[in-house]
Amino acid sequence: MAIQTCIKYFLMLLFIMLNSQTQTFAFVDDEGCLLCHKYPKMGRITEDGARRSYYVMPHVFGSTVHRNVPCKDCHSYIKELPHREVDTGVTCNSECHSVKNPATGKNFSHQVIYDKYIESAHGRKKKAEGHDKDKPYCVTCHTNPIYDPNEEDGPPPEITQRCVVCHEDEAFVNTWYKHTSRRIKEVKRSPKEVMELCSSCHGDKRLIDRHLDAAIEEGRELGEKYAHAAESYKQSFHGKVVKYGSKGAASCLDCHVDNNNYYLNVHDIRPSRDPLSSVHKDNVTFTCQRCHTHADDNYAQLDPHPTPTSESENNDFRYYANLIYGWIGDIVLVLLIGLATFETIGRRRDGIGWRLKKGSSWWRKSKRGRDRIK
Amino acid sequence: MKLSTEARKVLDSCMRMNKVSNAEREEIERVVDSMPDDRVLLYKNVVSNPIGDLPRYDIHVRLQHMLTFVTFLTLAFTGLPIAFLDHFWAEPLNNLVGGVDVSRIIHRTLASVMIFSMIYHLFYLFAISVKDILRGRFEVQRSLIPTFKDIRDFKDDMLYHAGQRSQRPEMDKFMYKQKIHYFAAAFGNLVMIISGSSFLFPEFWAAILPADSVSYFQEMMRLSHPHEALLALLVIAFWHWYNVHLAPGRFPMQWTFLTGKITREHQIEEHFLEYLRNLVEIPAEREYLLDIEDARELSGVYEDKYIDEKQGRNLDQGEQA
Repeated sequence: MAIQTCIKYFLMLLFIMLNSQTQTFAFVDDEGCLLCHKYPKMGRITEDGARRSYYVMPHVFGSTVHRNVPCKDCHSYIKELPHREVDTGVTCNSECHSVKNPATGKNFSHQVIYDKYIESAHGRKKKAEGHDKDKPYCVTCHTNPIYDPNEEDGPPPEITQRCVVCHEDEAFVNTWYKHTSRRIKEVKRSPKEVMELCSSCHGDKRLIDRHLDAAIEEGRELGEKYAHAAESYKQSFHGKVVKYGSKGAASCLDCHVDNNNYYLNVHDIRPSRDPLSSVHKDNVTFTCQRCHTHADDNYAQLDPHPTPTSESENNDFRYYANLIYGWIGDIVLVLLIGLATFETIGRRRDGIGWRLKKGSSWWRKSKRGRDRIK
Repeated sequence: MKLSTEARKVLDSCMRMNKVSNAEREEIERVVDSMPDDRVLLYKNVVSNPIGDLPRYDIHVRLQHMLTFVTFLTLAFTGLPIAFLDHFWAEPLNNLVGGVDVSRIIHRTLASVMIFSMIYHLFYLFAISVKDILRGRFEVQRSLIPTFKDIRDFKDDMLYHAGQRSQRPEMDKFMYKQKIHYFAAAFGNLVMIISGSSFLFPEFWAAILPADSVSYFQEMMRLSHPHEALLALLVIAFWHWYNVHLAPGRFPMQWTFLTGKITREHQIEEHFLEYLRNLVEIPAEREYLLDIEDARELSGVYEDKYIDEKQGRNLDQGEQA
């Protein structure tokens, strides 16, 4: 019976696998870039000794969100083939000449969001020098996402049947439906993913130290929590439940982003000393109230980034309270275990056994005389 | 046996409270007289039933203990993996109870059961105290209220364990260890409830406390909850379980928490004053004691050197010489 069930499921699985062909989009190489970039060994070793691959996999790129953008729309510095050495590379605020913004009819561009980002604490140019180089550029957080094959089961016919009445091209309808519906869905990173993403820089001790030193040298101000933002968050209750995969607790972005328009303002994270920041002292109560509905100004005094107990700097109270608690615990334990041992020795000396045998535990011979009468 | 002044007072007041007849009073006095002066010989020679001979805890106390101990252990099991998440054992343990979203709900539910148990206990204490006071049977030394005698008992007991004294002190229903443990648990319970509530209702605590102290209070509570939990768990594991499971004579388990009864040898050894009350209240116990004394010829054991507790030290030194 069990074998039959196994075979049944195996055949079903095989059937599903054979039927589900991942739909790849035609990637038309009008510009002839693949003439060279189709070769897997296409690459070089940079002056720093890093190995760089310039291999483009057409079937993979054909499944990404940028599949309809011709290479030269982004790689606009390429004027002839074979091209010269690339200096700056792709910047995300360039205009796409081939894709129009359907609302304005102008060339499509990420300029609006780019301008927000440049103003934020994280803003940097593509070609950054010095400490700005540690800041994230667009591609640090945004990859060129590949469509999830699970999403590719075309749209429900009861919806598209209505569209094709006027928009006769079924392929266009399907694409448009996916384009829209995907943006209606929740596509935020989970709190845990946000924590990991932010920690990749804010939890990097060497990077943090570099910036702390630079700030002191240049006489710049840095946030009070800058030195241990990631570590202290992980020790807070938010961090703990997020680490365990809870979806309900606040991640970094839930407090540090103005939730007026999350998707826009997530690019505009500002330091707490900036009055526009959602964690500025004038705004922080409202920020707490997003989740803690009854929070008041007193509540906003609570520290969501408690300094790690291992460090005494900045938070003597927490450090010494923890130390004293530890000592009390140790002393109590030593005393109690000492008492128990002392008692055992004393009663054993007077002839008590561990177990009750024939109605008495005092069947051993006492060192002090007066044994149980047999 | 010639009773000490304290024991005599306990026996007399117990006989008065129980309104024993003159005939019965004589019988009790005869039994007390017949006991050997060396109390050690008494508890070494009686026969005890491992699951208990003499009444100690009624059903309410046993229920409260059961509720508290089951919730305490499961609270620790669901709470510690959250508090100590950096440790290697934390994540598997947390996944075992279904992840943090589940274990938090379990933790809070159990916490409310534990708080219920505390309220039950407080009501119970109030009820029995009022009942005893109204019937004129309330005795401070028989209750859990700490007295100066406990300090003296502690000192004497230490001397006995060190071999400097021939007898353990005559202790009442609750000895010094039990009082320490009771108040430690009560204090710990209070700390856990306050700190736990400051996680569950942080807005409430922030609203009622002065603005300057809010942050300190919360920090203190964040430290207190896991520290107190760990301390309580270790005290339970190393001390309470020693006292009721591992100590010689109690191994493998003292059945009192299930049967509500204490063994005879344990009662005489550690709660002698309560045993005197048992002799008054349980006629069968008097008969039993006379029988065993006859069978083992204990009544005849009468030596001057055991009469005065204070001479105990001289006795041991004399023996060694």
